[in-house]
Amino acid sequence: MKRLGPAALVVALLAYPFVDRAVGLHTVHAVSDGMIYMLLALGLNIVVGYAGLLDLGYAAFFAIGAYAMGLLNSPVLGSPLYGHAWSFWVCIWIAAAVSALLGLVIGAPTLRVRGDYLAIITLGFGEIIPVAIRNLGDVTIEIGGWRPIERLNLTGGENGVNPVGRPYLPGVPFETDPMPWYFLILVIGALSIWAMSRLRDSRLGRAWMAIREDETAADCTGVNPISTKLLAFALGASFSGFAGSVYAAKLQAITPGAFEFQVSIMLLCMVVLGGAGSLRGVVLGAMLITIFDRVILSQTTFLVRAIGRATGVSALTAVDLTLWRWFFFGLGLVLVMLLRPQGLAGRRVRPVAGGDADDETAVPEPSAPPRLAAVPEWLRTRAAGVDASGAVLEVRGVTKSFGGVVALNQVDLAVPRGAIIGLIGPNGAGKTTFFNVVTGLVRPDAGHITFGGGSLVGLRPNAIVARGIARTFQSIRLFAHMSVLDNVLVGEHCRLESSVAGAVVRPPSVVAEERRARERARSLLAFVGLADKEEDLARNLPYGDQRRLEIARALATEPRLLLLDEPTAGMNPRETEALTELIGLLRRELTLSILLIEHDMEVVMGISDRISVLDYGTRIAEGTPAEIQRHPRVIEAYLGTGYEAEAAGRSGPR
Amino acid sequence: MTWWEVLVQQTINGLTRGAVFALIALGYTMVYGIIELINFAHGDVFMLGLFISLAWFALLGVTGALTGWQLVTVLPLVFVLTMLTTAALNVAIDRVAYRPLRRSSRLAPLITAIGVSFMLENVALLWKGPAPIAYPDVFPSVDILREWFGVDSAIFFTTKDVFVIVVTIPLMIALTYFVRRTRWGKAMRATAQDRETAQAMGINVERTILVTFLVGGALAGAAGLIQGMYYNIGMWWMGYQAGLRAFTAAVLGGIGSMGGAALGGLVIGFLSAWSDQYISARWTNAIVFSILIVVLVFRPRGLLGERTPDKA
Repeated sequence: MKRLGPAALVVALLAYPFVDRAVGLHTVHAVSDGMIYMLLALGLNIVVGYAGLLDLGYAAFFAIGAYAMGLLNSPVLGSPLYGHAWSFWVCIWIAAAVSALLGLVIGAPTLRVRGDYLAIITLGFGEIIPVAIRNLGDVTIEIGGWRPIERLNLTGGENGVNPVGRPYLPGVPFETDPMPWYFLILVIGALSIWAMSRLRDSRLGRAWMAIREDETAADCTGVNPISTKLLAFALGASFSGFAGSVYAAKLQAITPGAFEFQVSIMLLCMVVLGGAGSLRGVVLGAMLITIFDRVILSQTTFLVRAIGRATGVSALTAVDLTLWRWFFFGLGLVLVMLLRPQGLAGRRVRPVAGGDADDETAVPEPSAPPRLAAVPEWLRTRAAGVDASGAVLEVRGVTKSFGGVVALNQVDLAVPRGAIIGLIGPNGAGKTTFFNVVTGLVRPDAGHITFGGGSLVGLRPNAIVARGIARTFQSIRLFAHMSVLDNVLVGEHCRLESSVAGAVVRPPSVVAEERRARERARSLLAFVGLADKEEDLARNLPYGDQRRLEIARALATEPRLLLLDEPTAGMNPRETEALTELIGLLRRELTLSILLIEHDMEVVMGISDRISVLDYGTRIAEGTPAEIQRHPRVIEAYLGTGYEAEAAGRSGPR
Repeated sequence: MTWWEVLVQQTINGLTRGAVFALIALGYTMVYGIIELINFAHGDVFMLGLFISLAWFALLGVTGALTGWQLVTVLPLVFVLTMLTTAALNVAIDRVAYRPLRRSSRLAPLITAIGVSFMLENVALLWKGPAPIAYPDVFPSVDILREWFGVDSAIFFTTKDVFVIVVTIPLMIALTYFVRRTRWGKAMRATAQDRETAQAMGINVERTILVTFLVGGALAGAAGLIQGMYYNIGMWWMGYQAGLRAFTAAVLGGIGSMGGAALGGLVIGFLSAWSDQYISARWTNAIVFSILIVVLVFRPRGLLGERTPDKA
């Protein structure tokens, strides 16, 4: 049964044009055109659905693909560069390459901006490209009476390029018959979907989705946001290069009007309607919109007019619903966003109850503390080879101020190998800022940070992860709409090597690497007690599980230093106990160095070798837990005078 | 025309254009400041403002130039009616398409805004047809230099230019007063800074957002009316163009900043007028968008915007 569905689909797709011809429907041309738009929507899905970058100018890539084909494969434009009518089979690859290159060009400036600004920049490019194509049909450059270039036709201008050459295959009638086109586009489309599904399930696909879910967290998990986003733009564009070049050759003519903003929006409609990020959804969305646009609007117009004639209502006989085309597209966008934001085929997700740390999920049934498996063997072997002497992390005189507020003032701190160092202090003392400085999220104003002998100042967060520092966040930052297993696999990203080509072709080395990565991720999940939840979405986990998943993700980056930002916050006593045990285990078995921000004094005092105390950005004390508990300034600033008495009881200041 | 007459003429053109851009840009910047949404439909509210003002004129039986007392009765009345209509339209758009999405991802309302924009354009297309429509020459046009001062100059500076400036400046002053000095203005500024804290301080955030859309819509309506009276033509697709230029103006000035929007509007007005003259009108759009991209990439805070750190 499971194999029957795809087989039936293949048979139907292969048989369709012959059935069409036998019945005399003459729809093959229209269906082929629709498939070109479907291919475009699939390319856009890489950018919007996978990487989460809203692109409002995608038609620009379509235009570039079409013009690359049109200009190289047309005999009419008498420019020195082209006009030799190259072969279609060569041009299609050039078109894809040029589109991908343009994707990089457009992508590069957008890397500095986020979210809706990025959308506007893509929109700007989407406007500039048609303007440029229109105007470059008649270029005259005049410098003080001297005209080095006069009336040069680079693009065909408003009239476009006509004719564009057709593909040539011996014995195949591309000139007279729509059927070869159908099969050509079918093959390109099928190959594209195949490549896209492999990309999605690869190291790169996971990185795209991690960026989409939380760019900062992805950066701190070892994913390079810049190259990852650029690859999304370039690969998304290359598919539209194929689509554009086939479109140009099929139509045999191109005009700049075919690549306006409306086309970008129609493609966006296809992606959003079906469900951004879902291949099946995008195919469905593209089919629905094409059918709606080409069939339903015109047929309903005929119907309404017929009704009007039959009933004698003259207003109805003049109705033209195709004029409402963009109204319906607009309405479609609004309704999908309001009623089903995940799209028709998107995975339905449970609504999250508002609030975070202290809502219902934080006080679950007093579940048994998770059973911890042993430290994964592969982590142990990875950790064994590392040199065992000296401080791992050394921070000297780090200063950081935001406006007038000095968040960190001349802070020194050293983490010896295999040590657990506690970092405590009142709220707003600068503890998290310290973490942000060490992990590269915030650049210090002054001071040195060295890790294993090399300086970290000025490195991007993902580069610091690659050097062996991993962190968790005070407010948990998981990749909410990815599975538990995928969250951990993103952690392994910086230790994996498969390239784009490798992800698509999947040579044995990539298959082996992927299998090993999954085994490692599963053993890590078993270690933190999440073995049976690997397919759940991260956002659906209870609170304590989310905290442990974040630790597993951090461990997957194979760190030598682990920064934990309030790991037991919001946990019940039994969970806290289990987590404390886990931290101790990491240190004992892996000689992992750990820097720990924690407000639970029992935890900090219990497992730390040494403790540093921050207050108003300044380190006011450093010493063993026993020394810190007696330190007068610490008692004054943080612990409070009642602490000694209270410490005999249970909990520390919360 | 001598070269300096051309320059002065294009600068005057740029000034009037810029005034209209500034009025539209204020609507963008206010909405962005308060809910961080690029209200894509705003340009189309401006376009509908032109069409609606035309309808009000028709309803009041005005088909030609207004004279004498009509200028101080009918014209202000149409201004008020148009602004009220577009304000109501803008609020309705927010209610239907943006408000249900306040708590969802930031891209969701941006996508619905694009959807609304397409719907509004299509409504205008079906209402007035695809061809550009003529807007009656309701405001008397007098060549000031030639007829009032007797100067024989090629520079064409008319009462219409004066009108645009005389209407725009008081509107901006009134807006500044409203935002700086009134309770609602204070609520708007507080909500823009931090919605949750504003709520905790007892500010009705939803009502403040409503007021923002109300004011933004009214300004767009006024801009539409001015545009129609000045250029005597309207197109269903003009909202998209004008909207993008106005948005560029808002970003250039520093999105969220009122003074920035006004300044950005003028700058874009001048640049586009000069570009039309000295480069080519065909390239003006590309130039404006290039400015937008360069500003967003290298100075996302714009000319007068404040630094807003990424909430990491």
